[in-house]
Amino acid sequence: MKKLEFIYENGPHKWAMVARDPSKPDFLIDTNEYLVINGNDALLTDPGGMEIFSAVFSALSTEIDPYTIRQLFASHQDPDIISSLALWLDFNPELKCYLSRLWETFVPHFGGTADTFIPIPDEGMNISLGGLILEAIPAHYLHSSGNFHLYDRKARILFSGDVGAAMLPPDANGLFVEKFDQHITHAREFHRRWMGSNAAKLNWCERVSRLDIDMLCPQHGAIYQGEDVKRFINWFSELNVGCGIRD
Amino acid sequence: MEELDEIVEDGGEDYNEEVLDDFHDEIHVSDLHRVVRANEEIKKVIRISSGVNLVALNAMLIAKRSGERSCGFAVVSSELRVFSRNLQVAMADLGALIFGLVRDAAAIKKQQQRRGHFVAIALMGKPMSSKVVAVLACLEERIQTTEEEIGKDWLHLGIQLGRVLQLCETGRSLSRSAKIEAVYGGDMTITLKHVASRIEETVDEIFNTLKQLRIQLAE
Repeated sequence: MKKLEFIYENGPHKWAMVARDPSKPDFLIDTNEYLVINGNDALLTDPGGMEIFSAVFSALSTEIDPYTIRQLFASHQDPDIISSLALWLDFNPELKCYLSRLWETFVPHFGGTADTFIPIPDEGMNISLGGLILEAIPAHYLHSSGNFHLYDRKARILFSGDVGAAMLPPDANGLFVEKFDQHITHAREFHRRWMGSNAAKLNWCERVSRLDIDMLCPQHGAIYQGEDVKRFINWFSELNVGCGIRD
Repeated sequence: MEELDEIVEDGGEDYNEEVLDDFHDEIHVSDLHRVVRANEEIKKVIRISSGVNLVALNAMLIAKRSGERSCGFAVVSSELRVFSRNLQVAMADLGALIFGLVRDAAAIKKQQQRRGHFVAIALMGKPMSSKVVAVLACLEERIQTTEEEIGKDWLHLGIQLGRVLQLCETGRSLSRSAKIEAVYGGDMTITLKHVASRIEETVDEIFNTLKQLRIQLAE
């Protein structure tokens, strides 16, 4: 069963991670869901696939009242990101889902109505969570053509979707990256194949390196913190991406 | 199931969007809502029960300080710590049952969504309806099995809740005993009475929350 762990707490402002499901079938990719809480309002990033809905829902319910989740943020359109949407909406039809304007007519195939979606323009936008401002940061072509990350300036946390993802071995249970050099070997092939554009990558690295980030939180694998955030951005900027298919 | 057979037999002619809506309305959202409400009460009890352990520990320390005169109070406090541990185990079992319910409530939602899609095909009439009858029958069977599982889950939750309430009765008896024993505490009587009242309040709060939960489950 997945477990919810708080990774940042500052009064009513918190970040929690739902991760690591040892009982998950091997044929499903493991995912991290992040919950941003500000008082009685919560936003769930990349709520996950339909098959893991009950595991995510149960893990969240152990620590918070799931009725406080009023907003979903989908970094892009993949099934492991948002195919649980219909189940979330059955639980709370008032939920709003932020996602790239590119996907606002595609993702409704997973569920939802015209009122469900709040399209994010290409340049990004601010999202208010009970007065706390979260920033949808463009990350187009990393890997999806309409792709956003979510930055919390106050907590200095960047939810980075598939950027920073690592396909870790089953016995790697740590929530945080411990040995960067060892960890990054599990991220290399994923980024080479899934990230489609060197130009987009360099643009992202340049913009993100200017942000104050204590934690870079990917949707798969472990969280980069402290100096490992810079190490990752440098490593990524030098990696030749979009080439995984050539060799 | 009979209704579905009729849809197929009639080629969907007598059925309209209203029928389809009825199928969607059957979706077991209410199970998920009920389980969330129940879980909130359980979390409340878990929070309070961790307090019992601290209050009982405090009571044991005070009893030890006041010496021989409070040995009865010390025994009761020690039993309260055992009660607190047992309560935490019982609450963890309730939590596990909640996980099972969420899993089954989500499963039936998925199955019913799938059924909704195939019913829509059946509503198109022949020849389409005849192609999906086997799939619908299979889905119906699965839904029925899951419904039975959900029924069992709620039953088990009710039974476990009954056990926890019984356990709480023991806790209430202990808290009453603590109040009686406090009277023999000599110059520590006032302190012991205060601690005993705190224990009683906490156990009562747990008991009332669980009773409320039982009423909620019976609704």
